[in-house]
Amino acid sequence: MAHREFSRGVRRAVDSLGNLPRSQCERTIRIARRSFHGSASRCVSTTTVRSAEFTSDTQEKFTAAPPIDFGKASGGKGGGKRLLQTLRVVPASPSYFSAKPTFTDDYISLTALLRRVATLPIIPTSEAPKVAWKTIDQYRIMTNEPVKTQRFHKMLHVLRRLNCIHPTLMPPEVMQAMQRYKKDVQPGDIKPAPGVIDEWGRAKGVGRRKTSSAVAWLVEGEGEALINGKSLAQFFGRLHDRESAVWALKATHRLDKYNVFGLVTGGGVTGQAEALTLAVAKALLVHEPALKPALRRGESVTANLLPFHPPSRLVSFPSEPHVRRPCFICSCRLTRGGGRIVVTSPA
Amino acid sequence: MPSSVCLRVFSQLSRDRTALAAAAPRGLLPALPASCFSTSAPRCANPAPKKKNMTAAPKRGARTLNVKKGGKGVAQDTSKRAAPGERKAMRKRIVLSNNNALEVRSLQDLDKPSALSERHEGQVRGIPEDVVDSLRAVEAFKPAQGWSLFRRPATLMRKQTMQLAQLLKDAETTDGEQRKTIRRVLVGERMSGKTTLLLQALAMAFLRDWVVINLPEAQDIVNAHTEYALLPDSHPVQYTQNTYTGNLLSQILKANERILDTMSVTTNPTLPLPLLPNATLKQLVQLGVSDTEASWPVFVALWQELTQPGRPPIMLAMDGLAHIMQDSEYLSAEAAPVHAHDLTLVRHFVDHLAGRKSLPNGGMVLAATSKSNAPASPALDFSVQVAEARQSRLENIPSWNRYKRVDERAMDVLKDVDVIKVGGLSKEEARAIIEYYAESGMLRAKVDEGFVTEKWSLAGMGNVGELERVTVRLRI
Repeated sequence: MAHREFSRGVRRAVDSLGNLPRSQCERTIRIARRSFHGSASRCVSTTTVRSAEFTSDTQEKFTAAPPIDFGKASGGKGGGKRLLQTLRVVPASPSYFSAKPTFTDDYISLTALLRRVATLPIIPTSEAPKVAWKTIDQYRIMTNEPVKTQRFHKMLHVLRRLNCIHPTLMPPEVMQAMQRYKKDVQPGDIKPAPGVIDEWGRAKGVGRRKTSSAVAWLVEGEGEALINGKSLAQFFGRLHDRESAVWALKATHRLDKYNVFGLVTGGGVTGQAEALTLAVAKALLVHEPALKPALRRGESVTANLLPFHPPSRLVSFPSEPHVRRPCFICSCRLTRGGGRIVVTSPA
Repeated sequence: MPSSVCLRVFSQLSRDRTALAAAAPRGLLPALPASCFSTSAPRCANPAPKKKNMTAAPKRGARTLNVKKGGKGVAQDTSKRAAPGERKAMRKRIVLSNNNALEVRSLQDLDKPSALSERHEGQVRGIPEDVVDSLRAVEAFKPAQGWSLFRRPATLMRKQTMQLAQLLKDAETTDGEQRKTIRRVLVGERMSGKTTLLLQALAMAFLRDWVVINLPEAQDIVNAHTEYALLPDSHPVQYTQNTYTGNLLSQILKANERILDTMSVTTNPTLPLPLLPNATLKQLVQLGVSDTEASWPVFVALWQELTQPGRPPIMLAMDGLAHIMQDSEYLSAEAAPVHAHDLTLVRHFVDHLAGRKSLPNGGMVLAATSKSNAPASPALDFSVQVAEARQSRLENIPSWNRYKRVDERAMDVLKDVDVIKVGGLSKEEARAIIEYYAESGMLRAKVDEGFVTEKWSLAGMGNVGELERVTVRLRI
């Protein structure tokens, strides 16, 4: 670990002054001790004991550098004091004077590593492997140190730069060093089971929006839709909601190729319609996986459970001005970034 | 005696005299009243009127609220107030043409010889002008329908229309010695075109020179908005609605004037009014229109005449069937609700719908249900279910839960009535009507397969009312 390397370095510097007995002081966590006391003394308190949160095993054990004993450093006879007059010990890192040097150690070791591998060829950021770095909160809990956001982001810059090294030339030590800052679960780790078309030709898709959840069964047909046993017009009074419900089919020009059976529960009318959007899109992807890019352009395969979206301008379309297309981020009716979505047939 | 002078002056002060009067010479002073030292007189006097607007004046430049009528800053509403009934008239107004819509050149009219022909299937056909007048007279057009969007009334001859045309044909053909009486109830989803289908049946009947009697809205018969009277010598007790019947007679007269004029009275009806010998049916009906007291006997006499041999078939129609399948809003002498079937007009219709009475010259009894304006009628719902199961030859015909209350009279009437299910349009029909919309200029889009399918799907699998909404009405 980096900070250990650093403390070792300091210790080596001190050792050069003289052999010292290595006394290690184990720092235990103050908060944990305090909360333990508190829970014992306050018998009427209803708050739960929060020690478990802080003593979780995600935190690292930390050993501070031992203090330099100048009296012993020179080997007796008051030589140490004399030496001090001629020698000024400058620690390699400013964290020597801080209470908790872990972050600085991490940062220094990463920059040192980057300096070493800086000449290796790199690839553009967009082509670099996708990595989910630890959030600042996760890092703070791991190190038990109040790391400032700006400093953490500086460290992230270094990490991203390291991540851009050409994968074929990536040194193992860099891989090992980056491992410490990655989340436990990386994107792409969890792969959903591929959908199947059952013996009756149905494909199932599940969608949620706000508090609504929908299941859609898609079979090949000629554009009929039954939602909870009712026709689209009976179930959704608003034309916009009807269009939302079958938007995935409409955006890919498949409305006359499939029949939809939808079951939708919870939430309001619009939420149900937009939950169906997602469900139908997912069911359609089972039938035709190649439609994924088209559906991405049509914005119907991204789950959005949030009820609120920052206001942004509405996009109107000359051909059907009353229809507002979903936004780029999710299937809400607002569009971010203010572009127009052009849906083209993949075929 | 300076003290007495001082006292007098003091008393004068207490009476609120001016200093001038006090200083006047003694001889000029009026004789003082006995209680000159009292202070009660000024106290008992009316208090000085309070000054208005005692609150501090608003600061210069501050705006104050002024809600006074006619005051400065309040615009006088000079617009004309609607006369009584004007708003309702506006609401119920029937507009059958739109000058801004294009004339559809390819539109053919229905005509008498080919009115019931099958070649119209899936086509949009215009309604001839005289038929439009008759339909308007019998209130077959409803305000919420989309007639006002197009140049002139035209309808799509859909599958169910052809089914009705076939039934009309059956009723016209002489089968043995008696002609058939067709009884049907139109059922279907909301906005699926039940009322329009009824209108198409009426139009075909008008074209084929039938006598058409249409009860345009069942709710109007039973909601107790018109007067009612006990029918003398009726058993069980029945009630006539003279004003309503008189109005109905005038509608019948207006719509069927040409046919009624050709027929003369052959029976000898007993009427409260004198009738000319050899009078035509038109004159008979006019009798009932002019004197509403005689309207019900005239209606009975008219029906008697129309069921004589050699007379044209009759189309008897009603919209909003559920309203007459329960108690009416009328009250009997005992303040008990009057069942709708105890109203003479309703009973007349219901007897023919139930098949208790038949039309000897053939004809059709047609009732349309409503999904947007209908009271809950378990009997009607159940009967429709049974009829549908019977028609589709299902094994398990639903049976009524004996522990539930039901209107027995309604159940009895609807026991063996057949239904015509008005569903969604097929895609070909949808295409025909969308093309008509486009040719009328009300729809500006390229009508192709994809467009038709999309609208058909969004309209809930071809629901025609929804189709009109999504293509024509919701266009911005």
